[in-house]
This record gives sequence, structure tokens and C-alpha cells, in this order.
Amino acid sequence: MLTRRLIVCLDVKGGRVVKGVQFEGLRDVGDPVELAMRYEEAGADEVTFLDISASSEERSTLWEVVHRTSERLFIPLTVGGGVRTADDVGRALRAGADKVSINSAAVARPAVLTECAERFGAQCVVASIDAKKDGDRYRVYTHGGKRPTELDAVAWARECVERGAGEILLTSIDRDGARSGYDLELTREIAEMVDVPVIASGGAGNAEHVRAALREGKADAALVAGILHDGVTTVGAIKELLRESGLKIRGSE
Amino acid sequence: MRVTLFDYGAGNLHSLEKALASAPGVEVRVMEDPVKALETDVLVLPGVGAFGAAAARLEPGREQMRRALLDGLPCLGICLGMQLLFDGSDEGEGLGLGLFRGRVTKLRTRRVPHIGWNEVEEDTALREAKLGMAYYAHSFACRAEEPEVVVGWTTHEEDRFPAVVRKGRVLGVQYHPEKSSAVGVRFLHAFLEEVSS
Repeated sequence: MLTRRLIVCLDVKGGRVVKGVQFEGLRDVGDPVELAMRYEEAGADEVTFLDISASSEERSTLWEVVHRTSERLFIPLTVGGGVRTADDVGRALRAGADKVSINSAAVARPAVLTECAERFGAQCVVASIDAKKDGDRYRVYTHGGKRPTELDAVAWARECVERGAGEILLTSIDRDGARSGYDLELTREIAEMVDVPVIASGGAGNAEHVRAALREGKADAALVAGILHDGVTTVGAIKELLRESGLKIRGSE
Repeated sequence: MRVTLFDYGAGNLHSLEKALASAPGVEVRVMEDPVKALETDVLVLPGVGAFGAAAARLEPGREQMRRALLDGLPCLGICLGMQLLFDGSDEGEGLGLGLFRGRVTKLRTRRVPHIGWNEVEEDTALREAKLGMAYYAHSFACRAEEPEVVVGWTTHEEDRFPAVVRKGRVLGVQYHPEKSSAVGVRFLHAFLEEVSS
């Protein structure tokens, strides 16, 4: 039986790790390679690098960082941010990523998901969706949560899977960085609808929030960042709570 | 000991390369030519991509590789690499190496792909290393026709399929040992030690 996963996200900019609050106000918290390895040792099930570089100069350091990380990290590494084409995905995989998440580029041209799935397999194509509550629905945003689209998040998630995405990384813009808990309604709605794993993201303030995302939100995995980087809690403490609560979790070795 | 990765397409080979190279006395090479890849002590078929494209890259050297493995060249096939050790796949055109009898078919589950950490049940693959839990990322599974080759199983929803197959010094693993943290790296080292002794 598959275990639920705890995924640690490192926001990377210019080759360094930062964590934004509501995608703004960045603070430098360290070296991506060392941090990724530390989280593997701590029992994280996966690591995600989200590249939030604004310029191509900043981004050019990313592939080198991915390469160095992949040589020392022996759990899955997902890379996202600024990936536009199937060739970009190929470059990321070559550099050392195991999976690639695609966000704005998929909204601009949904066929890119199919192209990537056919070339590299659905298991390495992650559709990243940033959603914000808008009345009684959820609206999809692109460009780091800044640009609204006409897409409904639930319908868009379904389309991403139909087009070949093997996982959905679902971020609540309202909750991101707020530490008030994941958006359980949004997470559950999409997790119950699609047949691929859903990773809940945005809003973790403590271990109980992670448990709620997996249990009430029905997510397969939860993405956690700031509360770990800031030392509010640890991978071990979160996993212990999940295990005590009866969720199937990979144990520490 | 020379260990050669047959590079048949896209995908992250760095983790696998480093995990193998960290075993004592091991020198790792990456070869794109399926025939040149056979000039080695141990062959590794890594695991990311689609069956059709990989089978096409394998085709010019398929018969020679098959013969080398039958003659005792140690080999580890990982994920898609394991699937290439079978006859063929519903995922794409082309022939596998046919070292294990059976076809590769789509998972019979609601949730596809099977992504994440899952158990390796009844694991008798290697004497010295048991993984317990390993990382899987695949949509197809190997339906082995010879039950005795299956030396480890896993279950996703209601579908139970081989996690590890073995015939002599040829092993196929559906999971990714190079992505299964410390226990996975230990498995790779134990494999090299067992097949080279």
C-alpha cells in the first residue's frame, strides 16, 4: 500500500534557497544542496526545488544546482519554475531532476503537458496549479500567483490529467505563507476527482495542518517549507504525528 | 569493477551513477551504444522514459545484449530497464530482451501512475539487503509468466505485481533503488557485491 508523502519545498533564487510569504518578501535560508541532503536524512520523502528567479542570469545557476544535488540526494527531486517547453523538461531531467512541474506554460499552451508525457512518461510530469478562492469557485492564477486566468481550478486539474500530467501540485494562494492550514475544501475537491496523486501546498503552520491535508483533504502528499526552514517543527515530528494518527507513512531508517 | 549504464534516452542518470560509484572499487561509465555497453563487468539498464523509444535504441544491439546476459553478464534493470528484460510492452512498439517471459501491461488500478513509497513484499532478491519500503514511479508492470523468477512483490490498490525478478545474475527491479534513500543505495552495493563474487 502506498504511503502518504511529506515533500519539502525549497524556493530557489540565484542558486540560493529562499522562502516567500504570499510569494513576496524573501529571506535567504541557505544552500539548496546541503538543505536537500539534510531533509533526506531527516526522513523527507521527496524534495522540490521551485525556481523563483526573475531573470535568466539568476536562472542559469539552477541547472548546476540541480546537477550537484542529484549527485548527493537519493530521494526524488522535482524541479519547477520557468519550465516552458518539452525541451526545457528534457534539460531539467538531464541535469538531474526526477520530475518537472509546469505551471504558467501549461495554462498558456496545455499541449505541452501531452508532449512531455509522451516523451518522458507521465510519472515525471507534474502539473502545478496555483488557485485562489473567488466567490464559490477557485480561480487559477499564473506567474507566481500574480496573474488571474479565466480557468476554474477543478476543471483545469481534470484537463491537466487528461492531457498527461502524472501528479497535481495544488497550491492555495490565499494560504501560502499564512500558516493557517491548507485549503482543505480545494484539496479534497480535486483529490476526489482526479486519479493521479495530489500534493497539497500552501498554508502549513504545524504538523496538525499536514495531517488535515492528508486526512480531511485526502491529498496523497503534503508540501511543507517555511515551518521546517524556520525550525517551527521537524520532518520527524510531523511524521510521528501522522503515524500516531493511523496514516501509512515511510518510517525513518 | 567496471559498471556500465546503457543510456537509451532522457532521464536523470546522475543519482544512479553516483550511488553505484560510491561502492568500493567500482568505476562507472555511461554508454549510448548498446553493443559497446556490453564491454563491462556489470550492465545497468536505468529507468526513465517510454518503452517504445527505449526498445528502438536497444534494437541494433538487442540480440547481442540478450546473448551476453544469457552467457552470464550480470545486469540490473531498473523500472523501464526491468520492463526491457521482458518480451514486450503494451506501452509501445518494439521488442524487449525476452530474458524473462511475459508482457508489460498497464496497471489495473484506478490511480495511475503508481507514484510514491510502497513496500517490497516477500523480498528474497539479495542475501544482504532488504529495502522494506522503496520509491516507485510507473504506469506499467511486468506480468512474469514464470512464477519462480519473482523474488519480491508489491501491491497498488488491488493489483499485485513483481517488484523484483531474478534469474541468476540478472535482476530487474520495478522501484528506483537510487531514489529509495540509504536502503536503496545499500541494495545497489549489495547487488554489485553479490553478482561479482
